[in-house]
Amino acid sequence: MLNKLLSPRISIKELFSRYGVLIAFILLFAISASRQGEFFLKPDNLRNIVNQNVPVGIIAVGMTFVIITGGIDLAGGSLVALVGALGLVFMNKQIDSRMSEGMAAILGSGLIVALGALGGLVQGIFIAFGRITPFVATLVGMVAFRSMTVVLANGGEVRSLSKNVWPDVGIGGIPVPFVKDTQGNPIVIYYGIIAFIVVVMVGSFILNKTRYGRYAIAVGANERASHYSAVPVNRVKLLTYMLSGICVGIAAVFLSGKMNSVASGSQGVNFELDAIAAVVIGGTSLKGGYGRIWGTVIGVLLMGIITNMLVFENINSHWQGVVKGVVILLAVLLQRERRDV
Amino acid sequence: MVQEHSNQALMTVLIDHVTMDYPGVRALSGVNLQLNQSEIHAIIGENGAGKSTLLKILSGVQNATQGRIVIDDIAVRMTGVKDAERLGIAMVHQELNLIDSLSVAENISLGSEPNSLGILQRSRMNRTASDALNRLKSDISPKTLVGELSLASKQLVEIAKALSQNAKILILDEPTAVLAERETRDLLELLKLLRDEGVGVIYVSHRLDEVCEIADRVTVLRDGQLVGEVKREDGLTTADLANRMVGRELQDLYPLKLRDHEGDAVLQLEEVRFDGFAAPISLHVRAGEIVGLGGLIGSGRTELAQGIIRKRRRISGRVYAPAPAYVSEDRKGTGLHLTLNLTQNVVMANLKRYGLLTLNKSQEKQAGNAWIKKLAIRAKDQGVVVQSLSGGNQQKVSLAKWLDTQPKLLILDEPTRGVDVGAKSEIYQLIVEMAKSGLGCLVISSEMNELIGLCDRVVMLRDRKVVGELIGDEVTETNMMAMAAGVSVE
Repeated sequence: MLNKLLSPRISIKELFSRYGVLIAFILLFAISASRQGEFFLKPDNLRNIVNQNVPVGIIAVGMTFVIITGGIDLAGGSLVALVGALGLVFMNKQIDSRMSEGMAAILGSGLIVALGALGGLVQGIFIAFGRITPFVATLVGMVAFRSMTVVLANGGEVRSLSKNVWPDVGIGGIPVPFVKDTQGNPIVIYYGIIAFIVVVMVGSFILNKTRYGRYAIAVGANERASHYSAVPVNRVKLLTYMLSGICVGIAAVFLSGKMNSVASGSQGVNFELDAIAAVVIGGTSLKGGYGRIWGTVIGVLLMGIITNMLVFENINSHWQGVVKGVVILLAVLLQRERRDV
Repeated sequence: MVQEHSNQALMTVLIDHVTMDYPGVRALSGVNLQLNQSEIHAIIGENGAGKSTLLKILSGVQNATQGRIVIDDIAVRMTGVKDAERLGIAMVHQELNLIDSLSVAENISLGSEPNSLGILQRSRMNRTASDALNRLKSDISPKTLVGELSLASKQLVEIAKALSQNAKILILDEPTAVLAERETRDLLELLKLLRDEGVGVIYVSHRLDEVCEIADRVTVLRDGQLVGEVKREDGLTTADLANRMVGRELQDLYPLKLRDHEGDAVLQLEEVRFDGFAAPISLHVRAGEIVGLGGLIGSGRTELAQGIIRKRRRISGRVYAPAPAYVSEDRKGTGLHLTLNLTQNVVMANLKRYGLLTLNKSQEKQAGNAWIKKLAIRAKDQGVVVQSLSGGNQQKVSLAKWLDTQPKLLILDEPTRGVDVGAKSEIYQLIVEMAKSGLGCLVISSEMNELIGLCDRVVMLRDRKVVGELIGDEVTETNMMAMAAGVSVE
């Protein structure tokens, strides 16, 4: 990337269309730093900005794959609630029957991720073999998963019986000895942030280094040509939605941990749209065939910084949607392809 | 240049010192050209000679960097296709721009629907369409869905659309590339008719024999420059035009057929019936052999190929095809990933060889570079996006993709469609070399000369049935035409 940045062949226009998000992010970061001064640059503040966006960020990595194949996954926000709720129900049962909290948490988080994968797989089957368009298949998932969650929680919320371990998954972390927080203690990097970093790295690896990653790009670029080139198109699609489901599962672990409960009607609502927004801001093409994980990460962080700015500037939080909308619009305008006839 | 006064009634389009620069490339430099009504004006040139750029400027898609377009003494500036159409210039693209799910009439009036206060007037729409089609002596019903039409009929609809917008200058880009021999004849006759009615026809084609047959004037472009203008009365010969285009003496287009075909069968169909075929088909190709598959469009050639590569269901019979590869006729649709780069395309069908789980990128790049060298692909480097390559080079990438899978049988569907003369002869050379190295080739082509020049043996199809086989000297245009059309020859 640095090579390309420094290469003189690249025009200003190309620079903007390729690295526009990055430039915008750096700009906003600088503005925040100068407006908010020292406080903004405090390690805990930066950590908290990231942490607030961990669930959406993890879902957005899976979403990047889906969008690269030319699809869409609208079910993420509902699935994150459903698998979280199912996981809590399972763990509560285990704790009731005297399993240790730690063991229950290990089994529970495994189950949550597995159920996420299953949810993605089911959607993938309908999309790949049932030939239902991704929009419709995942719209069905979005409404059905939400409704299942509400049924499961009887309209209310599922509370975790875990007193220590599960909440710790949500708000605990690993202290980093060399960086001090505002109180002068070593700063704690939350587990969710660590998981986000791992998901991003694994995602980048899968997209850029594996055969599946290449196939995902190929399917998005030209499905028919892929089919003719012996690319297992259906398997690729299946795997893609499963991957997205796995990411949703991972997000559900930390989201349900942070709250130590799942509010059936509200948890995760609109997460899929925020994830799609992050992916699009990051420069991944909604037409499919092109995408980048690092762009998605910047997209997530960009939205985080904007929220943070609005809070600092004392702007009514109800305006957030408008600002987000404008940012998405600008990102797409900046990065849109020139139309070649 | 001064316009003659006697011509005042007829429109003249002057292309005045037009230069077009793309980043790093000068696609056209100082081209002067005059287009007249009532004339068939052919523009020829190799791929990359600047034809497409010229057409884009003429049809309002792009504006020239320098120079101007003068219509009837007035310099015009067009900012879109609509502007060009309003000025009487319409273009029929090589890739037809019709909407399959709309009717013929709806397509013809697309963008200029007759309406009253926004409400469509269907009867007027149908009338406009049938008037335009009648003018083309076509019996296509305006109410038919375009998706149900053959390629040739779709093309007629495109022409009708242009005429219904009162085009005085009609630009056709490679119109016969997708047509079979007989459909081509019909189209050429039609173009002559339109010329006699006063339409100026700009005819862009790689097929020099057609150009010689119908053009009143031929403009030759090479490397973005105008290198010659030949009038009918000065005599038009394909050899002369080809030499002007290439700028060097072309060696014989087809390489010598000097092969022995004693190899084992690499394709064997025994009484095989594929889905959509009424009759079983038997066919074989041996290693080292080049077999042609002839017939009109719609005779089932591509469908047969799909059967061989297992993209079409087999109902009965036995197929022996150990390592088949199919180089598609449809580069944009099924052949290539146009938005991906050269290397990614080349390795696409054989990705397992570049790593079981993780891909070995340097090995991929090596393969990309090796194929660029081996097939003399003219590309900046292995990372170039395939979309930006010329038709001939795209075809080579497609070929490389399949050769990379080390096939035993290579099915080439219209291997030189939309490819210029220079690249054409290179591709023929490649096919022959591959056959010599032991590959069995099955060539599907609508160009009879191609089959005659290239093949040892030609199997003819009609209505999805094998109607005969021609061997050696029997492979002649007359014999093929007779079999394809189902008439007996004296």
